[in-house]
Amino acid sequence: MLSEAEKKRYSRQIRLFGEDGQEKLKRTSVFIAGAGGLGSAVSIYMAAGGFGKIRIVDCDSVELSNLNRQILHANADVGRPKAKSAFETLTGINPEIEVEALVETISQDNIDQLLQGCDLIMDAMDNFPIRYLLNRTALRRKIPLFHGAISGYQGQATTIIPGKTACLSCIFPRAPPATIFPALGSTCGVIGSIQVTEAVKYVTEAGMLLENRLLLWDGLNGCLDEMACERNSACRECSDSVY
Amino acid sequence: MLIALPDGSRREIAEKCARIDDILKQLGINPEEVIVAKNGRIVPEEETAGSNDELKIVRFVHGG
Repeated sequence: MLSEAEKKRYSRQIRLFGEDGQEKLKRTSVFIAGAGGLGSAVSIYMAAGGFGKIRIVDCDSVELSNLNRQILHANADVGRPKAKSAFETLTGINPEIEVEALVETISQDNIDQLLQGCDLIMDAMDNFPIRYLLNRTALRRKIPLFHGAISGYQGQATTIIPGKTACLSCIFPRAPPATIFPALGSTCGVIGSIQVTEAVKYVTEAGMLLENRLLLWDGLNGCLDEMACERNSACRECSDSVY
Repeated sequence: MLIALPDGSRREIAEKCARIDDILKQLGINPEEVIVAKNGRIVPEEETAGSNDELKIVRFVHGG
């Protein structure tokens, strides 16, 4: 049940999906992998929107060079663990929700423990090896993975529903070379917002998800494009021979 | 075969049928950095493309 304060707080989105939809968000536990640029946009909108339980994980501390885009963190947070400032920002925005912020390095060894009790995964990582681990775990646990990635003015997003859509490895069979990428805060905002919109639609069962569609944002030219994708029968992660 | 390149330009090549990884090699594009759609659908690079196909090569990103 929503309290009177919650009904007031969420009144403008309750107009969209009703109290029933808001209660669904409240009952949803999300795992956010990363409290960087994407993680900032994703977690702030999820907290403000009333996802009931947010577990956000990041192993790094805030650096001055993060502050052009990582809006979870402020100048005074430089040198502090990102998880700590994430906790303060998110609970400051919305004290009605439960936030767990962990200083952890996501790995094969702890991923199951980190994901315990979570209904969906938000990909806010900055590298493909951990994205593949999130993908593999989402497939195994049969929970959705909302993928996003950025570089400079460019970004991409897709929604992965295990057993139904192409998985991350079907779309990107190989990790790109690891490089230091240029990053613009507003690009993180565009892609993170799309990821949260997808999660809201998934939970409230509204609209058409980015299932089997890779959305491509080209901010430099102001273009959105999409590419269709499908499950690869030879995929190393999700083909029938694996599951 | 009509090909849309990552920089937005388009190019026509006179291949009857070729594997996508060979086409990328011919164009000097590192396959690790791109995904390729054949007639609008993302395909693995082992797939072949013929003269009537349209390819779109997109550089994907990895940052967060």
